[in-house]
Amino acid sequence: MASVSPATPSICGAGLGGRRRRRARHAALHPSEERGRSRTVASEWGESRIRGGNLDVLRSLARRGDRGTLAPTSEGMAEDALEERLRRVKIRDAGHGYDALGLDRAGVRRALRLAYPLYKHYFRVRSYGAEQIPAEGPVILAANHSGSLPLDGVMISLDAFLHTEPPRVVRAVGDYFVSRLPLVSTLFARAGVIGGTRGTVRHALEEGELLLIFPEGSPGIGKPFSQRYQLAPWRVGHAELAIRHRAKVVPVAVVGAEEQWPVIAQLPVQVFGAPYLPIMATPLPLPVRYHIHYGAPMELGRGPEDADDPELVAAAADQVRAAVEGLIARGLEAREGVFR
Amino acid sequence: MLVTGATTPIGRAVIDRLLAADDVSAVLACGRESAAACGLPLEAPGLSYESCDLRRPRVVHDLLFGSARRLELTAVVHASHHRDARHEGRAVHQQNVASTRELLRLLDRHPTIRRFVLRSHAEVYRVDSECPDILDEDQPLELGPTAPQWIRDRVEADLTACARTGLSRAAIVVLRCAECLAPGCGSQLHDFLSSAVCLRPLGFDPMINVISIPDIAAAVLAALRGEAQGVFNIPGADTLSLSRAVSLAGRADIPVPGPALAPLYGLRSRLLGTGFRYDVTSARLHFNGVLDGRRAREELGYTPTYPVDWAALREQLSVERRALGRVAALLGR
Repeated sequence: MASVSPATPSICGAGLGGRRRRRARHAALHPSEERGRSRTVASEWGESRIRGGNLDVLRSLARRGDRGTLAPTSEGMAEDALEERLRRVKIRDAGHGYDALGLDRAGVRRALRLAYPLYKHYFRVRSYGAEQIPAEGPVILAANHSGSLPLDGVMISLDAFLHTEPPRVVRAVGDYFVSRLPLVSTLFARAGVIGGTRGTVRHALEEGELLLIFPEGSPGIGKPFSQRYQLAPWRVGHAELAIRHRAKVVPVAVVGAEEQWPVIAQLPVQVFGAPYLPIMATPLPLPVRYHIHYGAPMELGRGPEDADDPELVAAAADQVRAAVEGLIARGLEAREGVFR
Repeated sequence: MLVTGATTPIGRAVIDRLLAADDVSAVLACGRESAAACGLPLEAPGLSYESCDLRRPRVVHDLLFGSARRLELTAVVHASHHRDARHEGRAVHQQNVASTRELLRLLDRHPTIRRFVLRSHAEVYRVDSECPDILDEDQPLELGPTAPQWIRDRVEADLTACARTGLSRAAIVVLRCAECLAPGCGSQLHDFLSSAVCLRPLGFDPMINVISIPDIAAAVLAALRGEAQGVFNIPGADTLSLSRAVSLAGRADIPVPGPALAPLYGLRSRLLGTGFRYDVTSARLHFNGVLDGRRAREELGYTPTYPVDWAALREQLSVERRALGRVAALLGR
């Protein structure tokens, strides 16, 4: 499996010719004019990556016809529309307004109010291809993870909420230690975050929820700045779950988050079960621009019985990883700068 | 049907349902109270009562091979567990575990009884950050060395029944019921809500599931009538956050930093003699633990139907507090 190397020039866009780069920027900035040309542009980027050494990634993407779209669908949405969307969210009320995992409408509203200013004004999120998220049924969003704090999870959750029809609340799957954190555990649970245990995730998929899983886990969020946009070891649990529960997997690439809060050190201090205590280079996250790219939904395996075949599961996870890498590469080439 | 723990609120509800059923001809209720004090409708046709102490193996034997054989009973509902978490020791263990073991041992050679239903508890499950929020029947049990006897006994009784499943001549059904929010049911959550001020861990508001007495009785009847055996979670109709439960019970909800809770509750227990034990319930006040009732739904046909009557609970808790206040005032004089 090809992996994205930090030295690969095409990843950072340095390997592109000036003309091609200008065209890419134009496509990103003027999607209505360039939409018809996007496939050609993607194809040219593919050629550049072939020269950069990611031939396998590209070939696998080409086989699936997964090129996504680079046309930004929206930069934001009026805040008063959030309430209207929230009213249309389906919550499986297990009694008293909560679902069995702790989500409630008030908690989602609170999270939206906290996250939306960050989404719209601070990180100025651009969304690409969110219309590919299935409107119903069990779905796993598999994304790269970074940024010291799980702000990428918050932005993906909000972005998917804003761009799905009918609106779907993303159930981000948190690490074990999250439920040990006072206040955070409750705030997260009310907003839809669920614990990363097999039983909980299985229940969510059986209920037809939209899950967000970071297959890199904690090592992804804590990776040093020098390893940005290189995927940490890619766990296979998401692929197994997707196969077993016949859930579609939507690969997601977050471009921008990997520069938002450089870590200069990790203290081996375990508080509430967190694996380390990160020391950041800046007191606050940098106002980088987020670009969230969604790929086409993938159906893994032939049937639930494939979930018990370790080789098939590993191959499926690799397939998802390759799709995420491809989206990252394209996103990096399309963006004009960390803050733009 | 033989019903142990018949004088508890759950036992009474089960007996009421059995008496109302067309296909039940004889019900033998047993409890430690005398017949005069048992509170059962002994005039009802088909109901008989026997006062007995199940901690004694001889009594268990005589019950099964005396009255139960004479009445040709075909099933046992074992719902007799010690309900006060403050009591510990050998006698409590005998009531919780030894009686269960003795019943199961004797059923192997009993001529008529072919079904055994144990009312177990959701508290047998381990609850922590690494356990799922939704607990199915395969989740780990609380077997930690520091678990208090109140939990250890329940786990042991549960496992004793599980170990005989498939080996005994009787079909064994273990019903792990959610906490029953009613007085006299051995619910630590009910004891927690009995105080006017409920102290809970600051920053944690776990999801809980509670069951009403009618739902437990319905689950027992479903277990008696079905062919299935094994372990089944029996959730209730109310799934809510702890803070919401406190609010619905009309109690004051005060979050307190976690480390302060054990000494505070210890002090309160010593001063007021309350039945709530923080060491028994600590994990459930921090982490979610909602029973997954899918297996019971699919195999027993049980679905929770009767929500907890929160208004009645509020009223009952207020009455209890007023009574406690009067007793305290009398003692003060």
